Amino acid sequence: MTATQAQALDAKMVNAISSSVMEVLSSMANTNVTLKSVNARTDYTPIGDISAIIGIMGESGEGMVGLCFNSPLAKMMVARLLGIEPADLSDDDCCDGIGELVNMISGRSKTALSENTGQPFRMSLPTIIKGKGHEIASRPKNTPYLLMFFDAEGQEFVLQVSFKFSN
Amino acid sequence: MTLNLKFLVVDDSAVMRKVIISALENKMGILPTNVIQAVDGVEAVEKAAQNDDITAILMDWNMPNKLGIDALRDIRATGNKTPVIMVTTEGEKTNVVLAIQSGANNYVVKPFNADDLCAKIKQSCGMAVPA
Repeated sequence: MTATQAQALDAKMVNAISSSVMEVLSSMANTNVTLKSVNARTDYTPIGDISAIIGIMGESGEGMVGLCFNSPLAKMMVARLLGIEPADLSDDDCCDGIGELVNMISGRSKTALSENTGQPFRMSLPTIIKGKGHEIASRPKNTPYLLMFFDAEGQEFVLQVSFKFSN
Repeated sequence: MTLNLKFLVVDDSAVMRKVIISALENKMGILPTNVIQAVDGVEAVEKAAQNDDITAILMDWNMPNKLGIDALRDIRATGNKTPVIMVTTEGEKTNVVLAIQSGANNYVVKPFNADDLCAKIKQSCGMAVPA
């Protein structure tokens, strides 16, 4: 893969991932989401109350997709997914629901990655991290990553994606 | 109208099982008591074998212990011909083909629309699908 091809792929992937986020959260969680900005800041660590991380791996490379939410936004989206009030949502269902939403976003991103590269990829089961104000500090070493900042009806959440091609 | 049909919903996410069961109830009039649940492929194979009156099986792909695609193959290997609809985030065409070749009757990619999900269930079960 040439540098130009890799660059084009990055742009395609940003579009594919942001479209996936907006489509999944709009269709399943009935939440209007807009992409605010995309950057590759190395001095920023996403902080949230509930995060979900999914690994994506294949012969062409490996990486991860992680989303970081504050608790009220996570509860609002999962409650909408289930068609209930946030106050009626259990902690277990909130974590499970965030994992499932991130699973759907990662699945669509993986499909786009496979179609762009012509290579199959696999996806891990979601890992959920819960704890007020936690940081997702670790990233694969020497792996390019992007931070995508979204607005969901006035509340911000961050998607972190990193991917390293084998060659 | 409440239909006297029985479904097996297989997904490791409790929230997704609730979402699917809610779609079955709201769009097809299926009582939640007529839905059996399984949390992974191992349980899916067991429950499919224990219940010979299941109308259709809705099967996730990525689950711990046994993948949905392997559970599907195991179910078909017993001669069980119950319609199986894969309901999964695996959207690649190669996986759709693999699932159909393994015995799936239909394929729904998450995120899904409840109307589309129920239309594919009806189609797979030979029920009338409104135009």
